[in-house]
Amino acid sequence: MLKPVKKKSEFARVMKQLAKNKLAILGLIILLAEIILCAGAPLFTKYGVAEMDYMSFMDPTPSAEHIFGCDSMGFDIYTRVLYGGRYSITIGIAAIIISACIGIVIGSVAGYFGGQVDNVIMRLLDVIQAIPGMLLMIVISAMLGPGFVNTILALSVSSIPGMARMLRANMMKERGNEYIEASQSINCSKPRIIFIHLLPNCISPIIVQATMGVAQTITLAASLSFIGLGVQPPTPEWGAMLSASRAYIRQYPHMVIFPGLAIAVTVLALNLLGDGLRDALDPKLKN
Amino acid sequence: MGRYILKRLLWMIPIILGVTILVFAMMTVCPGDPAEIILGSTATQADLAAKRTQLGLDQPFLVRLGKYMSDVFLRFDLGKSWITGVSISASIPERMSRTMILAIVTLVIAFGLGIPLGITAATHQNKWQDSVSMVLALIGVAIPNFWLALLLIILFSVKLGWLPAMGIEAGLASYILPALSNSAGALANAARQTRSSMLDVIRADYITTARAKGVPEREVITKHALKNAMIPIITQMGTTFGRLLGGAMVIETIFSLPGMGLYVINAVNNRDYPVVQGGAIVLAIAFSLAMLLIDLLYAAVDPRIKAQYASAKKGNAKKVKANA
Repeated sequence: MLKPVKKKSEFARVMKQLAKNKLAILGLIILLAEIILCAGAPLFTKYGVAEMDYMSFMDPTPSAEHIFGCDSMGFDIYTRVLYGGRYSITIGIAAIIISACIGIVIGSVAGYFGGQVDNVIMRLLDVIQAIPGMLLMIVISAMLGPGFVNTILALSVSSIPGMARMLRANMMKERGNEYIEASQSINCSKPRIIFIHLLPNCISPIIVQATMGVAQTITLAASLSFIGLGVQPPTPEWGAMLSASRAYIRQYPHMVIFPGLAIAVTVLALNLLGDGLRDALDPKLKN
Repeated sequence: MGRYILKRLLWMIPIILGVTILVFAMMTVCPGDPAEIILGSTATQADLAAKRTQLGLDQPFLVRLGKYMSDVFLRFDLGKSWITGVSISASIPERMSRTMILAIVTLVIAFGLGIPLGITAATHQNKWQDSVSMVLALIGVAIPNFWLALLLIILFSVKLGWLPAMGIEAGLASYILPALSNSAGALANAARQTRSSMLDVIRADYITTARAKGVPEREVITKHALKNAMIPIITQMGTTFGRLLGGAMVIETIFSLPGMGLYVINAVNNRDYPVVQGGAIVLAIAFSLAMLLIDLLYAAVDPRIKAQYASAKKGNAKKVKANA
């Protein structure tokens, strides 16, 4: 009867530990605020995402009418930053979910079975990791063509090896424990042992890695779009906005400041949350 | 030790072969006909067909792959660029050296400032110096490098006019802005890593011993603590260097710095297959060599690891005897 109670307390312990960390809570609040602002974008701005203000061509700099100013097309930058967040944050989260799912499967198989299976998988990952990450993403984006979904795919492929390696290392540490021997002896199926018994005990570093990964992926997606390979303008993804405004940097620096600031704030919030999660999940800090 | 290096070098061979096949296959399935990109949209069907034959694109995939691999690995010839006709093996050293300079300047800035920052934070744990350093580090990690590059251009090139915003005509000064924008993230990570590994060693008994026997505090930190905290920092230096070699594409594009990154990215956009493949192979070799170098550096820094190599060798020798 004690078992379910204990399970609940583990989650509660992590949450309690996290709630103690002021910076992590700050990150969480920023992130939630951003998600609300971006998801409900039409509620928080009076302009449309493709609504041109012809008057702004005279003076696109920030004013009371346009608090972040307007871009070269006469679009309101504040509005586009909000709508752009939908793309950027979705790309970050979707790419990490895909890569975490594939990485978890690959890493568990390699880590649990070991031997030849592990050898083949690890050598394949070696090959993928020998190609510099940015180059791999660029070649994959060139292969798939630009666009929203393809950017997600390109980004997820390049973060699979890291996830898989991390999970494999944890699995190898964990699989020697008695409870695994016990579940083997009562004839549990292998998928059951891996996913029901082993995985929950190996997952915490992956959660931290994924939180940080979303931040990294948002930056990478923006840089891909920035060099013209990811999401294409006029889609208001943050990197694409920076790329479109780059030519006006001399006259109107505000055009590049605000989209970049949006990326920096999001990444900062995610890193704060990730740091907090790492501390909360770290067994060394358990009292 | 020599045996270990040899083993690692031999191990690189299958990895590089794998990289070659992977990149070759990926470029082959890229949409866009290279012949059409080279000749332009006005070319006739006959011209396009002739160009494809000339480039060897009409042959089956495996034949092309085999020919490419034998050219590269048996004759050490990376071929010529389809667009400019210039030999790739001749272009790469010049390009690579620029990327190397950029990477080294970046590394010097990042670790030259990051390590002292991390030490300050660790020796003043939970005081204001610690908070300030870690807030700086958090901001450094969060700022995207290409955005920082744009901001630095606005400040130092447009407003102040101190440093060039593009090209490499100004010599080493042209590398300052690219390196600065590239180094923010690395600097922040260096500071965080230094802080945490310094905190790990700073409470060790040998530090107390050093203090007890009257070693000046400064020397305790630099000689006794830092030396032992160096391993994770070196790991990070190595991975950062590897990432800088292959990841300078965006920065090189912004600053029009004609290094490896710009070379490869232009080739990807022009479907200049041989250049992309050659670039990927060279970058993968450079990356693997950098990783090997880090492992060797461990042994140089930490005598315990050196001893491990030595004992592994002894172990092997025993096994060999047993087999014989």
